Amino acid sequence: MITGILTFLIIFAVIGSILYGQRLIKTEKSDAVFGNPERAKGGVHWVIVGSSFLLLSWLYYSWDIAKAFYPKSANELCQVAKVNESLLSLKYLFPIEERQHKSTALIKRENINIQNKITIIQNSTNLKDQDKELFVKLLKKTKRTIPLLTDEKLLETETKIKIKDLTNRITWLTEDFQKISYPPIKSIEEENKRIEDLKKQLGWGATGMEVPPLPESKRGLKFHTAAEELNKISDEFFALRNHNPQYLKLLEEIRKEIKEYKDALDDSQELEMTLIKEIKKLGQRIEYESVFPPNSLDEMERSIREFEVVQKNEQGNLIYIDMLLFPAGTIVASGPTCAEDGPGRWLPKPSDTFRIFGDLLKPSVGFKMIPMIWYEMMGVNRIVGFILPDWIADIMPGKYPVHSTDGTVKPNFKSKVLDVVTGEFEAFKIPVPTGHIWDSFLRVFLGLTLGIIFGVPLGLFMGLNRFAKGFFDPLVELYRPVPPLAWAPLVITVFGIDNLGKVFLLFMVSFSIMIISARAGASGTQLSKIHAAHSLGASRWQILREVIFPNSLPEILTGVRVAVGMCWGTLVAAEFLAGTSGIGFVENVARKYMQYEVIWITIFVMGMLGLLFDVTIRKIIDKTIPWRGKG
Amino acid sequence: MRKIISFILGTIVALNLSVSVANAAANEVRVAFFLEWATPNQEAKVKKTFDKALGVPVKWTNFATGGEMTEAMLSGDIDISYSQGLTPFVNAVNAKAPIKLVDIAVIYGMGGTTCVAAKGIDKGNAASKLDGQKVAVPLGTMADYVFKETMRVVGADISKMKVVDMNPEDGSAAFVNGDVAMACLFGGKSIKAAKEKGASLLTVKEAQDAGIAGIDITSVTNKFLKENPGMVRTFVEVTHEANARYNAGKSDMNVIAKDAAMDLAGTKKQMGGFEFPNAATMKSKYLNDGGILMTYLSVMGNMFATSENPALKDYSAVVDTSYLP
Repeated sequence: MITGILTFLIIFAVIGSILYGQRLIKTEKSDAVFGNPERAKGGVHWVIVGSSFLLLSWLYYSWDIAKAFYPKSANELCQVAKVNESLLSLKYLFPIEERQHKSTALIKRENINIQNKITIIQNSTNLKDQDKELFVKLLKKTKRTIPLLTDEKLLETETKIKIKDLTNRITWLTEDFQKISYPPIKSIEEENKRIEDLKKQLGWGATGMEVPPLPESKRGLKFHTAAEELNKISDEFFALRNHNPQYLKLLEEIRKEIKEYKDALDDSQELEMTLIKEIKKLGQRIEYESVFPPNSLDEMERSIREFEVVQKNEQGNLIYIDMLLFPAGTIVASGPTCAEDGPGRWLPKPSDTFRIFGDLLKPSVGFKMIPMIWYEMMGVNRIVGFILPDWIADIMPGKYPVHSTDGTVKPNFKSKVLDVVTGEFEAFKIPVPTGHIWDSFLRVFLGLTLGIIFGVPLGLFMGLNRFAKGFFDPLVELYRPVPPLAWAPLVITVFGIDNLGKVFLLFMVSFSIMIISARAGASGTQLSKIHAAHSLGASRWQILREVIFPNSLPEILTGVRVAVGMCWGTLVAAEFLAGTSGIGFVENVARKYMQYEVIWITIFVMGMLGLLFDVTIRKIIDKTIPWRGKG
Repeated sequence: MRKIISFILGTIVALNLSVSVANAAANEVRVAFFLEWATPNQEAKVKKTFDKALGVPVKWTNFATGGEMTEAMLSGDIDISYSQGLTPFVNAVNAKAPIKLVDIAVIYGMGGTTCVAAKGIDKGNAASKLDGQKVAVPLGTMADYVFKETMRVVGADISKMKVVDMNPEDGSAAFVNGDVAMACLFGGKSIKAAKEKGASLLTVKEAQDAGIAGIDITSVTNKFLKENPGMVRTFVEVTHEANARYNAGKSDMNVIAKDAAMDLAGTKKQMGGFEFPNAATMKSKYLNDGGILMTYLSVMGNMFATSENPALKDYSAVVDTSYLP
């Protein structure tokens, strides 16, 4: 319902915004020429169109629009899938969706296989001549079994009758299928039970239920019942073998010869053993397949084609719903399991995603016992203990207390300092954020900040100083092009699986980007400005601070934006490797349990956080370098 | 404007048409398998017995976890997964993946999948010593199941530990580095490396007594089953022949070791802990109504059920024993 309204709203928003945009162009009086950045200013209506298209694609490719407008369609298509699946084996025999009869393809292949085997045996140097002769003879005999299967005259009456019978059943089903009264009600008890079961069934998209499997509509029931009948027919057909007495006799003969030969072999004759087994398998392959004379199944093929036409007709508007509202794939592809996961549905539905996201956000639920984002009360002492280094206590005068003879320990000044720097004291508590999202956010933030703190000065230095450029250039340029992921396993083993390793990895990513951008900024400063500053009597420090740094700021801030993106990409990979918490961990675990909605949530959250970072930086850019593009 | 609209419409139409193309009559069989997991049919794999028996080339692709096998089967790139763990299989069928179990590949004690704990932690004190510690577990795999069961046996509380999700290779490295107090692993090399710094929490015997056993299975996509039942039958048959050869002591262990990317001694040791039952045993003991595997399926199904993918009521629908020789 909500999805339906939303879809219309989005479409209206798109049309409205486009019309508004058209009008704006006509009425707008701007002297901006092409190439002037002013022309790219504003344009909220295009943002609406862009995001609406994004949302619309999500709704469309996740089949949520189908669910909103045709809530029963998935269930019905699932019944169609049952029919398709029941016919799959039979259809595969005939050139309905293939180019050749399956038997044709098989015979062609096996003739080649037999010929190849004969050549191999004849050219073998390790075989005795008499063995060669026997093998070739057996292979030729095996080859002779094929015409016995494909000879119309040899087809037994019994088999013929059975094929005829099965064909008739398909034809009858085709006729019945078109009737309104199909399927007939078998008994009142069964019908009541069916209705009872149906009541218990949850709808499309309910928790733990993708598409409800039991038929909900009359049309669905029709397909469901037909599928059951077709499954029986299919099973009976594949139980049928075209093994006429002549064939069986020859097969028996071959088998006997093979067995005799095999029994005579001793353990050392490995090659002979292998070959004879392969020959046996070749015969078996033909035996297992449903090979019939070329025209004996024509009627059956026709009846299946007829049924196909009728069942397509009976689908009615379902075909169009399937074509238009289930883009890229369809539930039908997953067969009777009625699963949506698979190559067909590209994205989980927004409605499911937000429902599950809502669940995950509850601090008591979370993911793997850790909330997505919440707060916990943390004593100030722990923060103090984290910030103050422990060695402060070590450099204090005196010694740490030793226990006395009466078995007590008396604290002294040094031990009290130690208590403070390690955070072993009572203090009031403050709420601090915690959870997967916060952990990931913090890692990216720390990596980025460290990268900026170390990278920017070094980059500026490299842009201004010959020694720095020469000394650091090989180092930076060697490690920069290596994808951060390549470092991950090494970094994780050296720095451990905790935050340290991950933050270091992110630091490496942002560090190189910041160096490059700061260096480019520094070396890109206009010489005239530096000259002007010099002639006004500025010191080196002043020139660096007042001329070079502001001039490189646009480059640096663009570098930060690039680094944010790279950091997110790397973080997820790092959290894949050793996951304790974080968005990447959630995604990786969800993948193992096939929770595609959760995976989509993590992608969504990462996108949102990336956007948040980016918007913040853009704000900073606007505030700190308003002169950008106007110099 | 018109250009934009026609471009967008064109794109949508093109994407809708890109429905997966029907595959022609199977001209190759694509099989997923594990490295470091020695099985007798690897001899048949190397010697191309499968290719010869099936009459078409067999393409083997190695995977790191059973979950990845399922993903590849869902996308249609793999037809048969050999030796997929029961846990990933259960996760897949809970999520309604269209795959079926057709054969038992390996039954193994705790030799192949085990939790290795640091020195000083043993069965008796694990409950207290693991409290608040970090443990490496490849979640959603057989090692995850073994982890849960082992903790139940030693009476340790999982919720008090910090579970780190790591693949066996990484988990083993982290354990050797001392980053985690315990690592639950599978794979010969990983376990061997970890055991240099610790010991299995439960011996093979203890695990057996506690009813912990690993079962790896062969799963096939429904589509492949429907289209090429003969090939599935032959695949299972060749595997069983290789198993029979191994059980008779006739397998070429060097070939298997090389293909499994392990050394000979390691392979022999690993396979010593494996059991490859024949079809009759499977039918009478494991896959029959109330058989061992069927019980495992429902136990594990409930163990790994999530609110999105709850356990099935009846797991016999995803088991098909008709392909056993």
